[in-house]
Amino acid sequence: MGSSEGLTEWVLRASRGEASAYSELYRRSRPMVARLVAGFAPLDPDEVEDVIQETFVRAFRALPRLKEVGAFEAWLLSIARNRARTRLERKSSTRRLEDDVADPEPDTVPHIPEALQLERDIEVVRRLIAELPEGEEKRTVQLFYIEGELSAREIAEKLGVGKSAVTMRLERFRSRIKRELLRRVLAGRWE
Amino acid sequence: MRHLNADALSALARREPEAVAYFREHLGTSCDTCEQFLATHSGPDVLDGQVDALLLGMGPVAKQDAPLDEVGLARVRRGLRQGRPDTRRWGLIAGAIAASVLAVVLVPRLRAPTPDTDTDTEWNGVKGPSGNIALELAVVARAADGGLRRLDSESPVEDADVLLLRYHATEAGTALLFQQRAGQGPELLGRFPLEAGTHDLEGPQGLAGVSLEGESGPVTLWLVGATGGQEPTPEAVRDVLVGGSSAWEQSRLAVTRFDVSVGSGQNPR
Repeated sequence: MGSSEGLTEWVLRASRGEASAYSELYRRSRPMVARLVAGFAPLDPDEVEDVIQETFVRAFRALPRLKEVGAFEAWLLSIARNRARTRLERKSSTRRLEDDVADPEPDTVPHIPEALQLERDIEVVRRLIAELPEGEEKRTVQLFYIEGELSAREIAEKLGVGKSAVTMRLERFRSRIKRELLRRVLAGRWE
Repeated sequence: MRHLNADALSALARREPEAVAYFREHLGTSCDTCEQFLATHSGPDVLDGQVDALLLGMGPVAKQDAPLDEVGLARVRRGLRQGRPDTRRWGLIAGAIAASVLAVVLVPRLRAPTPDTDTDTEWNGVKGPSGNIALELAVVARAADGGLRRLDSESPVEDADVLLLRYHATEAGTALLFQQRAGQGPELLGRFPLEAGTHDLEGPQGLAGVSLEGESGPVTLWLVGATGGQEPTPEAVRDVLVGGSSAWEQSRLAVTRFDVSVGSGQNPR
């Protein structure tokens, strides 16, 4: 969202084939991708690195087809989430190996207007966190998203709960945010 | 009451007015069914990425000048060339190797110390009068059937082989491992801690091996060591390697190389 602004120039240069731009995109984007993947506690450190690598390989390969350069960050994070989910589902054998979560096609990613509503979005998230009943889920959300230092694995260890439980809490909270943002999209806030 | 499903999501992605109007109202209040669906299905569009960007943006502000993860970027570059990012792990794989197989340590090349480095008082914290590190490298090929064979430099190998490395270092330090194909520049494979003595090359993921899958023709492995506190950047090492032996002499690095010739399974054992 907001940080996409600083990436736009590098996305444009990378899409023109400048090798150094890919390095810069990687340098700037990797921390957020890594942070996202760190929310999938059942993935071990090797698997996390694999997911990060695969995310950037897929994104960089498809980058020249990305029409909306301002959507790079959201597109990249969508890919990262899909890669992490696919790896997790394969690991838990809930899917056949050939099944794969499809990434957003770069040439159909829609325009994302500047984050004029970012402050409101942040307020929505803060409100939803505040509305959570005191307990483990709220503590997990605060540790991962607000304090932003510990991985889901580390949170599981800190709270003395299973790794999957931490990821499930984060995903449950995230689904509320996604519902709220989808409603706002449908209400025309990005139209 | 309707809830989100794949059809509804497709309709929303197409901005169908009826679906938009209905779910705009429906999603105004908490709905476990729809939230469960949203948690397990991507989209529409890049909404997932927008949600994650928003949530991750709630945390501490990330450093704008975060250092480049050279090793990670090298993995990505390698994955881009291979076209099948799932099938290899950077060419670096974990493997088991019998140390006895490597009892004979080869010495392909060693950097000779220079007078400057011998008298440099800024070189602190390392053992020995000059702080130089000497490095030796031995290589064993592990075949697809698990068989091991010790290699001499310029040995023929197969593209199904995995090269396992063992080193002897006179000091503790750090080594960068590069791979170089004919006509191309050295490519960083990884960074490894060095211990004084003779050890298998080992990183956080275990023993390191270099997969030759997809390779053909001459391939050179470079293991470049430096003592603690003197670790060069991968770019600096590349410059040294490209600069040839004179550049090695002027650097404080221990440069070892090992050449193999990769065939496609037709090489004699």
